[in-house]
Amino acid sequence: MENKVITLAHGAGGRQTSELIGGIFKKYFANKDFTPDDAAVLQIAADKIAVSTDGFVVSPWRFPGGNIGKLSICGTVNDIACMGAVPKYLTCAFVIEEGFPIADLEEIASAMAATAAEAGVHIVAGDTKVVGKGQVDQIFITTAGVGEMLSNVHTSGTLAAVGDAVIVSGDIGRHGCTILLERNEFGIEANVNSDCAPLGKTIVEVLQQYPDIHVIRDATRGGVGTVLYEICDQSQVGIELDAAAVPVAEPVQGVCSMLGLDPLYLACEGRLVIFAPGAEADGIVEILRRLPGSQDAAIIGQVTADSGKVLVKHPFGGKTMLPQPTGELLPRIC
Amino acid sequence: MTQEDYLQILRNYSGPPVRIMEVCGTHTHEIFRLGIRSLLPENMELVSGPGCPVCVTPPGYIDSAVVLALQHHAVIATFGDLIRVPGSHGSLADARRQGAELKTVYSPLDAVALAQSNPDKQVVFLAVGFETTTPSACLAVKKAQAAGLDNFSILCANKTMPEAYKALKGSADAFLYPGHVHAIIGTGLCQELYRQGVSGVVAGFTADALIMAMAVIAENLESGKVFFENCYPKVVKAEGNPAAQKLLADMMEPCDCTWRGLGVIPGSGLQLRQEFARFDAVHKFGLTPDDGQVNSACRCGEILRGDCKPCDCPLFGKVCTPLHPVGACMVSGEGACSAFYQYNC
Amino acid sequence: MCVGLSGRVVAIEDDMALVDASGARRKVSAELLDDLEPGDYVMVHAGVAIAKIQPDEETGV
Repeated sequence: MENKVITLAHGAGGRQTSELIGGIFKKYFANKDFTPDDAAVLQIAADKIAVSTDGFVVSPWRFPGGNIGKLSICGTVNDIACMGAVPKYLTCAFVIEEGFPIADLEEIASAMAATAAEAGVHIVAGDTKVVGKGQVDQIFITTAGVGEMLSNVHTSGTLAAVGDAVIVSGDIGRHGCTILLERNEFGIEANVNSDCAPLGKTIVEVLQQYPDIHVIRDATRGGVGTVLYEICDQSQVGIELDAAAVPVAEPVQGVCSMLGLDPLYLACEGRLVIFAPGAEADGIVEILRRLPGSQDAAIIGQVTADSGKVLVKHPFGGKTMLPQPTGELLPRIC
Repeated sequence: MTQEDYLQILRNYSGPPVRIMEVCGTHTHEIFRLGIRSLLPENMELVSGPGCPVCVTPPGYIDSAVVLALQHHAVIATFGDLIRVPGSHGSLADARRQGAELKTVYSPLDAVALAQSNPDKQVVFLAVGFETTTPSACLAVKKAQAAGLDNFSILCANKTMPEAYKALKGSADAFLYPGHVHAIIGTGLCQELYRQGVSGVVAGFTADALIMAMAVIAENLESGKVFFENCYPKVVKAEGNPAAQKLLADMMEPCDCTWRGLGVIPGSGLQLRQEFARFDAVHKFGLTPDDGQVNSACRCGEILRGDCKPCDCPLFGKVCTPLHPVGACMVSGEGACSAFYQYNC
Repeated sequence: MCVGLSGRVVAIEDDMALVDASGARRKVSAELLDDLEPGDYVMVHAGVAIAKIQPDEETGV
């Protein structure tokens, strides 16, 4: 390609747009369902489908453990999978600031392709808009996706029941911590990678053996703490959290102590919060620990009848409320 | 002694009903966060004192910061806690919506770096805090002076604990003295108060440290004697940190100072000495600060003196919440109202 | 506001110390402590090392 950066012409629908589509998107997203037409026509093998969409504006767009492209696939795939569906097809729309390097766009597209392959989904349609300098910050991506519902499962945020165990699929707060460090506003260095990962296969594996899991949520903005309060609210239950059981990587804990943050409120991008009947909890954790990316899965608490309250129990006996979420501490985390 | 031994002492407390004041906002926060109150016997009551610097700063201070940001177009560098504190007419967060440039910093030294990398802008660091924090503000001024910066200054509302302790003497049966203040000033003041009949312990901030300190207080109160113990000797030395004390004395001098809730306490404030006046934002920008206006229904003042609890305030949890704070005690993560609201089961 | 962070000194350069707390590292001012050496544990507040921590009782953070 002649131009090394994206220009307004790349978004104008002419020759350069075709070049961009051919040179990057077709090259990376090639699959039998990727359409050159106005819409993709697709085969669906289920009675019901799950549909979701999500926009991604993370700054900086590249971070240890991923980039905005990988994130844009994971985010939508995970939302679909949490409903008990097998993610199948995705669409993506790019809004790109003129002057964005084409090599960087390629890096993003390549990450999207690799993540889609890992997640077993096809990118079937896309759109590119280019806007003037300063009208967006580098690149924003929106993805939408469709998944085929598994026939025998029913998960919902309203289904948590007293006696359920609360499980997380790995150590928490890594994505938020990574972005915070990458912005380098506080002069702190630590070896932390984003947990950003597609979780569809993990979810299907777990649901196939434990179809009566009540709730699956992927913790994103607002972290695990926000998910806990959401579920309390939706299911009209309470939660008692075992503070010592919550898995947190050491450097994440270190950064949190430096800045006075609670890892429960740092964003994740590859962590599930599962509510399942107490008797099934050990089995679920065992499966999770065998799967890639969830070796640190743990039971972190249980559901109580004390509606709306998330209590934290410390090992020495101290009991306190988990403060209510006050919104993401950092803007543009995903 | 193990943690279990200390917990045992607390469970078995058989002394008279007592009030213990945690003077330090960080203690307040950690005590709530760790659920330490749930471990105390019924007749041991913890009350929060005036040790959250954000809470005791009068609204007029925020008004000055807003004037600096909006009228003098200074970049305001601050610890995050101050951003949402209501001034007389609004907070710094409100000012940001009107174009004020705010920057949250981890250290005042970072504010100096900010001034260095923005030579065309004035950077003002909001210097609040007690003895623990003031040395960092002094180091920042020293660094700015060494670098020859003329675009860095501090809006100084630093305070010292000794006069406040004396003003609060009768408010509690024992004080939980703030470990990091005493890491700087040493334990001489506690000894002096002890000789005047005031009991207390210097405590650290972890669950272990707090449980131990509470147990030591319980044992001593049972015996009925006046006591002082340094329960945080690994960090707090009798002499404190002499280099920090010297730095403070060299660069700052005492002044009278208004504490929200306690009024003017003579000699309890700090200001930069005359030779550093060009780093003093009040002097540099010709400000005429006053104490500002507080919402008259807000009982932060009594709460800061330990005279009432957050839930006794008619605004608490109704009009005044962490998302819509009326008083400073609800804003700061270390404020009694905020801690009470967020952590109380 | 008086929150402190205990960490291990990894390196000293001029009047700054690189401090490690559970793998999170930051440069802090070492001006207020004499004879600081790598391996010492310090209490850090607002970017300044304010006290040395007695080594025998310090097991980490």
